[in-house]
Amino acid sequence: MVNPVLLIAVPLGLAFMVPLIDSASRKLTRFVPVAALMFNLILCIRLIPAVLENPIVINLGGFTPPFGINLFVGPLGLLFAGLISLAGLVVSIYSLSYIKNGPVVKYHMLYMLLLTGATGVVLTGDLFNLFVFFEILCISSYALVAYHGDRAGIESSIKYLIQGTVGSGLLLIGIGFIYGIFGTLNMADIAMKIATVEQSTLFVPMILMVAGLGVESAIFPLNAWLPDAHSSAPSSISAILSGIAIEVGLYAVARIVFTVFGISDIYLFFAFLGILTLLIGEMCAFAQSNIKRMLAYSSIGQIGLILFALALATNNTVTGGLFQLVNHTISKGLLFLSAGYMIYRSGSMEISSLNGMGKRMPLTSLAFTVGAFSLVGLPPFAGFPGKFLIVSGALLKGQMVINILVGLVLLSTVIEGTYFFRVIQALYFKDGNGERKRAPATAVTAMITLMILIVALGVYPKFLADFLSSASSDLLDKMSYVGSVLK
Amino acid sequence: MSFLQNNIYYIGAFGLILIGLLIVLVKHNLIKVIIGLSIMDTGINLFLIAIGYLRNGTAPIFSSPEVESVLMVDPVPQALVLTAIVIGVAVLALALSLAIRLYKHFGTLDLRKIKELKW
Repeated sequence: MVNPVLLIAVPLGLAFMVPLIDSASRKLTRFVPVAALMFNLILCIRLIPAVLENPIVINLGGFTPPFGINLFVGPLGLLFAGLISLAGLVVSIYSLSYIKNGPVVKYHMLYMLLLTGATGVVLTGDLFNLFVFFEILCISSYALVAYHGDRAGIESSIKYLIQGTVGSGLLLIGIGFIYGIFGTLNMADIAMKIATVEQSTLFVPMILMVAGLGVESAIFPLNAWLPDAHSSAPSSISAILSGIAIEVGLYAVARIVFTVFGISDIYLFFAFLGILTLLIGEMCAFAQSNIKRMLAYSSIGQIGLILFALALATNNTVTGGLFQLVNHTISKGLLFLSAGYMIYRSGSMEISSLNGMGKRMPLTSLAFTVGAFSLVGLPPFAGFPGKFLIVSGALLKGQMVINILVGLVLLSTVIEGTYFFRVIQALYFKDGNGERKRAPATAVTAMITLMILIVALGVYPKFLADFLSSASSDLLDKMSYVGSVLK
Repeated sequence: MSFLQNNIYYIGAFGLILIGLLIVLVKHNLIKVIIGLSIMDTGINLFLIAIGYLRNGTAPIFSSPEVESVLMVDPVPQALVLTAIVIGVAVLALALSLAIRLYKHFGTLDLRKIKELKW
């Protein structure tokens, strides 16, 4: 069997090799991320059968848990690792032609470090290790947001850095409290010992950790940085930040709330927070005239929806939430990638400047349309099964409060549909002028891959739903998590 | 008085953290905000060390074999703090280099004057 440590080690090692490779051959640099992520994706696919049978626990340095650091490769972790490699691979193919100017070597290096950090967060079983990988993810994304070095990029990067640093500070204080209470940093060990202390002692560390991670995952009162950072980064980075970075933050929140703490009294609070995030995100997106800001606010809304689905904590809703998460990564990636070239050609981010793009860039416009339909949740695309599972699972709970919240989810979908259809109307039914020019072949390859995935998942959702169902029991079943780490 | 004596490190740590947060929230100069972040980092590091600290304890390495393990300082938080310091330095360096670029673009470090991006 192949060792899952390579999922972290290979991109990390290659990231620092990039400057060396660049000095040997200029042309080779761009292909390093493609190679590393291709390797990761193949490794993830090869690990699927083994992980579905039994989660793999790797003890780094040979110390048995609770000592030392361990990696936990369960279905949920593998789902995220696979998703990160897939999105990373597609975006790195896209950026072969998209990233031409500026410090290209640093771009590829930071890009791989970002994905290394994300993969580390989803695979680790140690709280402090989670913090370290989280910081790798955050620091490289601060730098990548400022990649162009223009006014907007630098300003939003500074905003993101200040808020993110305060957030990770809070996370570290929370981890300190947890270590002070339990004397261990192993997540399974803490989860086992959590019942031995009074719940009121756990309140402060949990709020600190959730608030710290909430900054990165853009949960409602902590998401002021997101629209600026996502809209002023290069489009390829926006796709990764929207599709990977905030999802990984949400994974960390879910892991800590469900698996480590597992206090079911506050799940309803998270459901409310999710709905609030969803409504605020969608309403702000509705008001935008800048297409990238609109997509960024729509990401906030989607995160709220996924948080709501996870917080209901039944197998159906969590499966639906994870399905929606996969869909969001793929379709928001597609939307940002296609918007990237449309902005590049029209020279402006205003929605009105995209008038008539459907005639000038047919394939890119089609990609945008498919992504938008999938995100809204129209049937033949991947968004439908996710939203359907969430709504039907939530209604099955049969509580009045939850039913009202589901009504709000459906309302927000209508808002979402309205602003996406407004863009699609501009693309196809309004006249604009400009020359007809295609996007380059690499970008087209990336977009077509994502379109095929969206349609395939929408037509045949059972393929993914079975895997997601075991991933959701991985998240909710605390006892088997503890049991498989501390044998 | 003994409360103060027993908890002096925690009081100091949270004092530093709160001072740092206050600076980040109140000050308008970017350099001062970055200094605030650094002070907050220092407070967190002190807090982590204080968790594992033992008055009159010894280091867990190079000690004579007859010293019992309950008299030793917990080494794990110290290892954590080493890592946290390195991360803090990286963030600080990035923040300062961004501040230089910001100054080149806007000609000022006053955060009240730098607000081109809005809701």
